[in-house]
Amino acid sequence: MTSNDTSVSRRSLLKAAGGAAASASVAGYLETDTEEAQQQGGGTLTFARGNDSGTLDPQNTTSGEDVKVTNQIYDRLIEFRPGTSELIAGLATEWNLEGQQTTVTLREGVTFHNGDEFTADDFIATYRRFTDSNYEYYPGDDYVSSYGPFTLGNWVDSIEKNGDYEMTIQLQQRYAPFLRNLAMFASSVLSEQAIQERGTDLSTNPMGTGPFVFENWDQGNQRIRLSANDDYWGEGPNVDEVVFTAVGSNTTRAQTLVSGGADIIDGLGAQSAQIVEGAQQAELLETEGINIGYMAFNMARVEAFRDKRVRQAISYAINTEAIVNTIYRGIAVQASQPIPSNLFGYNEELDPYPHDPEQAQQLLNDAGYGDGFTFELATFQNPRAYNPSPIQAAQTVKSNLSEVGITVNINQQPFNPFLNYTSTGKHDACFLGWMTDNADPDNFYYALLHPGVSQDQVPQGQDWVSWDTEGFNTLDVAAWANTEFMDVTEQAQRTYNQQERADLYKQAAQIAHEEAPWVFIDHAKELRGVGNNVQNFVVAPIGGPFLKQVSLSN
Amino acid sequence: MISKRFVIKRLLLLVPVLFGVATFVFAILHLAPGDPARVIAGQRASEEFVRQVRTELGLNDPIWVQYGRFLLEAVQLEFGNSYQIQKGTPVKQILRYKLPVTLEMALYGQFLGILFGIPVGLLGAIKQDAISDHVTRIGALAGISVPIYWSGPLLILLFAQVLGWFPASGRIASTFDINPITGVITFDTLVRGNFAAFESAAMHLFLPAAVIGIYSMALISRMMRSSMLEVIRQDYMRTARAKGQGSKITILKHGFRNALIPVVTVIGIQFGTLLGGAVLTETVFGIAGIGTLLVSAIQVGDYPVVQGTVLMFAGLFTLVNLLVDVTYSYLDPRIEQ
Repeated sequence: MTSNDTSVSRRSLLKAAGGAAASASVAGYLETDTEEAQQQGGGTLTFARGNDSGTLDPQNTTSGEDVKVTNQIYDRLIEFRPGTSELIAGLATEWNLEGQQTTVTLREGVTFHNGDEFTADDFIATYRRFTDSNYEYYPGDDYVSSYGPFTLGNWVDSIEKNGDYEMTIQLQQRYAPFLRNLAMFASSVLSEQAIQERGTDLSTNPMGTGPFVFENWDQGNQRIRLSANDDYWGEGPNVDEVVFTAVGSNTTRAQTLVSGGADIIDGLGAQSAQIVEGAQQAELLETEGINIGYMAFNMARVEAFRDKRVRQAISYAINTEAIVNTIYRGIAVQASQPIPSNLFGYNEELDPYPHDPEQAQQLLNDAGYGDGFTFELATFQNPRAYNPSPIQAAQTVKSNLSEVGITVNINQQPFNPFLNYTSTGKHDACFLGWMTDNADPDNFYYALLHPGVSQDQVPQGQDWVSWDTEGFNTLDVAAWANTEFMDVTEQAQRTYNQQERADLYKQAAQIAHEEAPWVFIDHAKELRGVGNNVQNFVVAPIGGPFLKQVSLSN
Repeated sequence: MISKRFVIKRLLLLVPVLFGVATFVFAILHLAPGDPARVIAGQRASEEFVRQVRTELGLNDPIWVQYGRFLLEAVQLEFGNSYQIQKGTPVKQILRYKLPVTLEMALYGQFLGILFGIPVGLLGAIKQDAISDHVTRIGALAGISVPIYWSGPLLILLFAQVLGWFPASGRIASTFDINPITGVITFDTLVRGNFAAFESAAMHLFLPAAVIGIYSMALISRMMRSSMLEVIRQDYMRTARAKGQGSKITILKHGFRNALIPVVTVIGIQFGTLLGGAVLTETVFGIAGIGTLLVSAIQVGDYPVVQGTVLMFAGLFTLVNLLVDVTYSYLDPRIEQ
């Protein structure tokens, strides 16, 4: 099952064996750390990642790198249970979503790091700062991130407080994923006083209610230092300090962990994961990530792609198994549908398209493309979590498709211009992927495959729309507009019963699999390297990293 | 000696050079595909949101307006605020943090290179074709040929992962919380009297400085050797020998200064390369200097950071070259005429 199980078994195995050699080497490596820890009690936990933060304000970022730090400083009304996508109480103790209204009861006796008490006013100020350009303390369009409308602004109509510890949130429409949006990093609760006094300085001087208090940001050393919040309302923290450092090269980061320069590292690739795996001083933890890597057909642009049989043929022709196992080297699993198996609504009856060039050729013949055709595959150049080797993967697609007579021209670009290219629909087909925001299937189905327009905007007998359709969702890079699918996902978005929702998403998965607007490629695993002195660390596919529960052993 | 006029003339030359570089960087950045507003807004943002950001940043203005604004600011040594790398922070401030990091590493590396390169080169020249000469020449050739992205990880593997003598990355152990004064960490820790922190910083600095040092030593020693060999064969050296000054040490006293001129050129040019090569060293050793800053700024289209960094590089490079020229005229006063 999950990697945690394996890690525990490995640890207990070591203990059971009482391996003299292993413990001797571990002791040698821990020597300096132990001294530090004894002086400081809980010790300093060093978390090394690929990049430094760009900002410490959760309303100022779309980057996962920034979020790792803000999640330690801030709390949310609702939280994810570490290692799962399940919701648990955070700054809210109770909540109830009914119709277009959510009532929330807030936790009493929680204080911000400056000692002020947390009340409903803080959440309201947080919401207004993020979404309301008329608010006196709105920091400006170029400051607030697009998560403002995405998470709250597009859904919330108004927020009323009933006393200090109760709020009613009025929604603009029925919206099932709303509670999950409240658990997202972007919904982190800021202090009203800090909003008023610090303004955009919150990007370098944050203050929340979270388990760790911001100490300093040493930009010359890419190092952010947090100290334990002794008044934290929840469990933990168990260490005195957390230091976030940045080491750009994956290999060096792994070597830093192994040589004792860091306690936890993330952002591992196949090669660096091997270094951690082979080391006695650290272990590799993994869990299935909530993400998807795919190749999308731009139906608005390429006529051949409008025929379902062509899309299926290409899905059969591309050897995704080889891509996942040989090119991504096993740090991902093959995908059969838009969401991974650890989300509710996953359809177990679907299998990935097998590699079957003959079937592909047959389908192409049936569709009248037996002699093949030519298209351009746009791809980004640098590795992304859901596609660790984009160029090699693109070359595999090219060679696979040449077997069935289709010519592929690869157009590779850096990620920034690439996003521009695809979001304006200039690609014939493209690689792309998605890492979840709120661990809700809607965040895949509606966000990436629904065209964002109403069903009567889709021309009769057509299952795609053009890019200049009013209100078109540019994340739907296939321009796919299958009304049956749209209907199911819209229904699911409004359905509050979990079982009914799950069934609807299974149906949506079935349609997406059959219609194949994408070639489903992979779900990447989440990999972390963890030193043997670290206890209680759980790899989380959403939220976190959960450092408040971590302790360091001597 | 060095005339003021010479220095002033050279300093004035900086203006057209920097102007050229500024224009070039601006043109390249704005011709390159990609939209910084899209990067800021992220994958999830709607087109409308991206448009808003573009307007806020002034990216919708005509290109010559943007160019004029950029030049006007650059003249006042302002480069605007970072779009993405350190959102909203003035570029000047970012450079202020990052420059000492790169300079410290490059200077220590260069220092090691000079410290070992010159004696090794001299030794080779004096004992030409001896075993020691062959060994150092082959060593130097290897030093120049091995790229940093190969030697760096190898050194880390050996000294950090296997032997555990040196840390693998960073500039100081994370348990030390040093409030920066200059940003040169070996200096700051000493000033603060924290010797444990100084030791940690020095240990962290050793491997990257050694990698840079090996390369620079190789180049310097080769240049030193051939230049010294040439000088040894000059007439005035023969005369000195004929006068009875047989000792090689005495000859060095006459020859060394003359032989240094091409070596100083190499050191000067080398220093520029060091700044550029810092990208690789910094990436391999996880050090947050100018090199990695520039690369990530280019990747995300953080125009102000790219512009500020490149201009600063250009300025530094020109200044180092000036310094080299000034050193020439000290070594050989004839050069100025």
